[in-house]
Amino acid sequence: MKQNKFTRFLKTVPLKLWLLLAAIVAFSFISNDFGLVDIQKTAIVLAAGIDRNAEKGYTLTAQIAVPKGVDRTTGGTSSVEFVAEGETIADCVSDIYCKTGWVPKFVFCNLIVIGDETAKTENIFDALDFFLRNEYMSDNCFIATCQGTAKELLNSESAIDDTSSMAITKLFSNANVKSGKAMKMSLREFAMGYHSVTESGYMPYIVQHKQETNENSSGNNTTQGGGEQATEYKIYCAERTALFSKGKQVALLGPDETFAFSLIKSNVFTGSLLTEEDGKPVSLTVLNDKGDVSLNTKGAPKVTVKVELTVRLFNRAIPSEIEDVAKNEISDKLKENAKETVLKTVEKVFETSRKSGCDLFKLNQSLYRSSAKKYEEWKDTLLSVVPVTYEINVKTAK
Amino acid sequence: MQKITGNLKQDQKALKKLIPAEDILDFSFRTEKGGEFVVLFTDPITDKELLGHLVVSPLQSYDGEMKAEEIGKRLSFPELRKETSLEKLAEEILAGNPVLLWEGMDEGLIVGTKKVFIRSIAEPPTDVTIKGPREGFIEDVKVNTSLVRRRLKTGELKIEYMNVGKRSQTFVAVCYLEGTSVQKVVDEVKEKLQKIDIDVIPDSSYLTHFLASRPKSLMKQVGTTEKPDIFCAKIAEGRVGILVDGSPIALTVPYLIVEDFQSSEDYFVPSYRATFTRLIRLFALIVAIYLPAFYVAAQLFKLQLIPIKLLLTISGSIRDLPLSPSLEMLLVLIVLEILNEASIRMPKYVGMALSVVGALVLGETAVSAGFVSTPAIIIIAFSGIGLYAVPNLIEETSVVRLVMLLVAGSVGTYGIILATGFIIFYLVTTDTFGSPLVAPFSPMVGKDLRDSLVKYNLGSLDTRPVSLNSKNKRRLRHE
Amino acid sequence: MNKISTRQLCFFLAAIAPVGKIVLMPTNLIYFSKNNLLFPAAMNFLLQAAVIFLVLLIAKNDKSFYQLIADKLGNVTAKIILTFFALFFFFASLMPLLEQKIFVQSSFYDTLPSILSFSSFFVFSAYLCSKPLSSFGRAWDILAPLSIAAFFGIIFFSVGSADFGALAPALQSGAGQIFRGFAYNMGWFLDSAILLSFLGKIDYKKGLPWKGLLSYLAGAAAVLLFLAIFYGIFQGIAINQEFAFTKTSKYFSGIDTLGRIDFLFIYSLALVMAFYAIMPMQAGIDFLRQAYGSREKRFLPAILSIAVNAVLLVLTLLFDFRYISLNNLINGTLFWIFPIFCLLLPALALLFMIRRRRETK
Repeated sequence: MKQNKFTRFLKTVPLKLWLLLAAIVAFSFISNDFGLVDIQKTAIVLAAGIDRNAEKGYTLTAQIAVPKGVDRTTGGTSSVEFVAEGETIADCVSDIYCKTGWVPKFVFCNLIVIGDETAKTENIFDALDFFLRNEYMSDNCFIATCQGTAKELLNSESAIDDTSSMAITKLFSNANVKSGKAMKMSLREFAMGYHSVTESGYMPYIVQHKQETNENSSGNNTTQGGGEQATEYKIYCAERTALFSKGKQVALLGPDETFAFSLIKSNVFTGSLLTEEDGKPVSLTVLNDKGDVSLNTKGAPKVTVKVELTVRLFNRAIPSEIEDVAKNEISDKLKENAKETVLKTVEKVFETSRKSGCDLFKLNQSLYRSSAKKYEEWKDTLLSVVPVTYEINVKTAK
Repeated sequence: MQKITGNLKQDQKALKKLIPAEDILDFSFRTEKGGEFVVLFTDPITDKELLGHLVVSPLQSYDGEMKAEEIGKRLSFPELRKETSLEKLAEEILAGNPVLLWEGMDEGLIVGTKKVFIRSIAEPPTDVTIKGPREGFIEDVKVNTSLVRRRLKTGELKIEYMNVGKRSQTFVAVCYLEGTSVQKVVDEVKEKLQKIDIDVIPDSSYLTHFLASRPKSLMKQVGTTEKPDIFCAKIAEGRVGILVDGSPIALTVPYLIVEDFQSSEDYFVPSYRATFTRLIRLFALIVAIYLPAFYVAAQLFKLQLIPIKLLLTISGSIRDLPLSPSLEMLLVLIVLEILNEASIRMPKYVGMALSVVGALVLGETAVSAGFVSTPAIIIIAFSGIGLYAVPNLIEETSVVRLVMLLVAGSVGTYGIILATGFIIFYLVTTDTFGSPLVAPFSPMVGKDLRDSLVKYNLGSLDTRPVSLNSKNKRRLRHE
Repeated sequence: MNKISTRQLCFFLAAIAPVGKIVLMPTNLIYFSKNNLLFPAAMNFLLQAAVIFLVLLIAKNDKSFYQLIADKLGNVTAKIILTFFALFFFFASLMPLLEQKIFVQSSFYDTLPSILSFSSFFVFSAYLCSKPLSSFGRAWDILAPLSIAAFFGIIFFSVGSADFGALAPALQSGAGQIFRGFAYNMGWFLDSAILLSFLGKIDYKKGLPWKGLLSYLAGAAAVLLFLAIFYGIFQGIAINQEFAFTKTSKYFSGIDTLGRIDFLFIYSLALVMAFYAIMPMQAGIDFLRQAYGSREKRFLPAILSIAVNAVLLVLTLLFDFRYISLNNLINGTLFWIFPIFCLLLPALALLFMIRRRRETK
């Protein structure tokens, strides 16, 4: 009899357990108390700017997205920039939390900008460490350095977008990278370079320019400080590339060198190569770009830099006969000039890399992968002594 | 069991005693030779005109022997039966068939002049097709069996009748193809039907509870259809069909979930189109169940699930809402269910007005007033539409959707994943009449996959579903 | 539903078992063996494959593990051995659980959630562990295609970002490091031991051992491919990329326009993983049921399941932030326990069988 009672009790246990479970789910659903930080308590950080702060470690500028819509039916991407200070980046993040009550979430952070001075004087991985350790941060975000401070850059008003970081990341679009006018770099790729045998990397260098605007033309013409002063709108440019070694900025490639570097990386498609013919500037469109840096490890290491371009006449700065325009022919002289232009800048890039100690072409890595023994032998001198052969070839599109 | 005595007055009295209802009438008349007859019938369900023309008139001029055979010949009426038991006669009277008694005869004659009120055969509202047969079952089991018989002109089609329900004595027809349906399933169905001890069976849905192996299950375990073409196709595959008098919904067992993703129209359109439609149905169902849950989980726990631009739009929409994202979604979902319920039960024209009120006024005003956000209404509307892509699973999926929402609001996406795991395990371990509910996916039956979520050409569907365990495997022979 | 079919078993070996090895194992392998991570992984897979083949050979006589031992050594010994195995399984399930926990906390939430959020796993686990092992076969029928599709989805999204040259130079880190990688990752290779609990529940068909072996090797090849891609994508920083399979696919160019659609694959694999993570517990409970259960004690699996899950829940709460220490203890100091139960004892069981057959002849 007792056994039956117990068995009967056991039979009802599953139902009771299910009911208990349902009650717990319902309770937690209503209370919303699982330690969650929902969308209404979140600061969606779109970009982060890092500057070294002489007094207190770091200054972190977080560009936080603010919903633009006022009638609950429209959206948008306006933003506010919040500046926090702290001994570490994590300390700065806590500062934001403490002062705004919002929990900063970096999952959508698409850009990390490092101020010029910080990049030159510090191992930037002291700061980037926070982002690399953070499981809730995407390492696929763009990373760049900039003229002046990152705070100034992110606080500036873009002439083409409501949010400066959105305007900056447009510079790293595939279309722009294919033009050869800018390089792009992600946090992951940069960190991989730093943590490899090369300990080197590069990232775009952003410069802001004042936009000359017609006062009546733009809807963006707002006023600040009681309506007295007009806002200064900026446009951004990433034509230069900063080179890093052991986490520090060691050199800067100019616009031409950045273009040459793009050619070596086979990035360019329909980009414009500027050369000259008879003392007059001529632009050629690069229709095909095959670049390669190879390390020959037989015997003493040797480097070959190859760039093979297929070009078409794009623009000649002197008036041409209409028949010439129709023929669209490139003279041998022009081809030779183009080759010379590319060679000069490619050489310059390699020499900058060599002098600065930034193993831009991952020569040490190539050597290590092909022969660890040789790598041990050459690792300290490879970059400075390796002989280089340049093979530049410019072909015409028929 | 009481028997007829031959004493007319006594038998008449005994029958009246057995069925002491006021609408049970009796009518006495005499032949020219003085023979005395009594007809007992149920007033509202007996065709009295037919009774008068075919029974009373011929017998009033009858001058032959007072024997059942002779009287039967005189009546020349096709549906005549003799019966000696008073109880059986009482049952027939209640079923609408008058009983004819006369002096000195120890048998009663049952005359099949039942008056049948039936609606005409029409296209069923729950199973509309653009291409394909438009006939639907009606409430009369006889008409329904005739629709089946018309499509399966074979002696192998067995239709076995039985009465279920102590008081309703509902006529239930068990239909199957002998040699094709699994005899074990047929026997199990009959056994389960016979064991039912209930007062009244108002509709076939009552039987589903008794036929299911897990009666408390969330998932249905009996297939339903209102269309004779589908019913016959299922019987031809080896299933057992059940028709219930008074219900236009026919039942079929064993039931496989995949049936509800199929429509009769799939067999009348090219196979690629049928496959696409089935996949769309599955996609719609998944969206219907998961979209509100993932929307809530994303807002509460994992913003990354939403692309940044959409997230910012949502963020703008939900600013200053009084409710948390989970409660907001629950509120909108409940409003949808209320509107749904009300619009189905409302008279047609009021229903139209209601949907306008629901869709425009409530939705628009709620958003303007800041009770709910626009994305929440869009999500629920999308989910609501998706649910109707598989109409036969609405009851189950709307519950699952609610469960998913509750779990998403409390535990987040991981809760949704675990709840999905629960459901998968629950479904794969459920069998109906020896066939797994989720076949042919689990257990995976390669041959049956050809007519599951994908549909091959008719020429490739040459065997009956293996999952149904039919002995007669081949249904199509190639030249 | 009473027996696990050949197909279902192959699905388990090819598509369910490998999933547990792409969360934390890749970083653990890299920690010890650096760019040579493929070697220790392959060694473990090959050893497991060999033992799995042996276990499937034993499956032919349709006897449970308990019966096998009881026939040879008597009921008491069988009970003792199965109890030890059960304890081993409960011990071995702790790491996969903690692995699940930190994976869930990282991949399903934007901020560190309350520990309670992972407690729901134990409800799921308690329910499933109370069900007979043989009913899992059907679940694998659904989960395996899902797993295969999701896995190849991730591979497809990831392969373009990988630089396989990063795996060179081979064997640079030396045999010692490779061996350490092999030894200290044995904790992720419980498959052969889990398979012991399937004995007597398999619908044995001719060629099953070979099919099982090939399935397991196919799964192993897929994991090795993933490991190569993983290292190719992250190279020097791979050691820091925990929850490997959630990381590799986000660099696919389509993500920019479509959003994180790779979460579809990640969550599908997480579902499969939840089923795999309970397998050691399920096996342990099944062994206890074999040793101490009877027809009258039909509530025993449910009671055991609730009790075991409650204990593991408490341990998970206890070791909430001590994953690394526990990993060092279980996969480091106590690593030798795994080959005893996963390699040695199953192999011995086969030896028993062979001797018994000879005696019979």
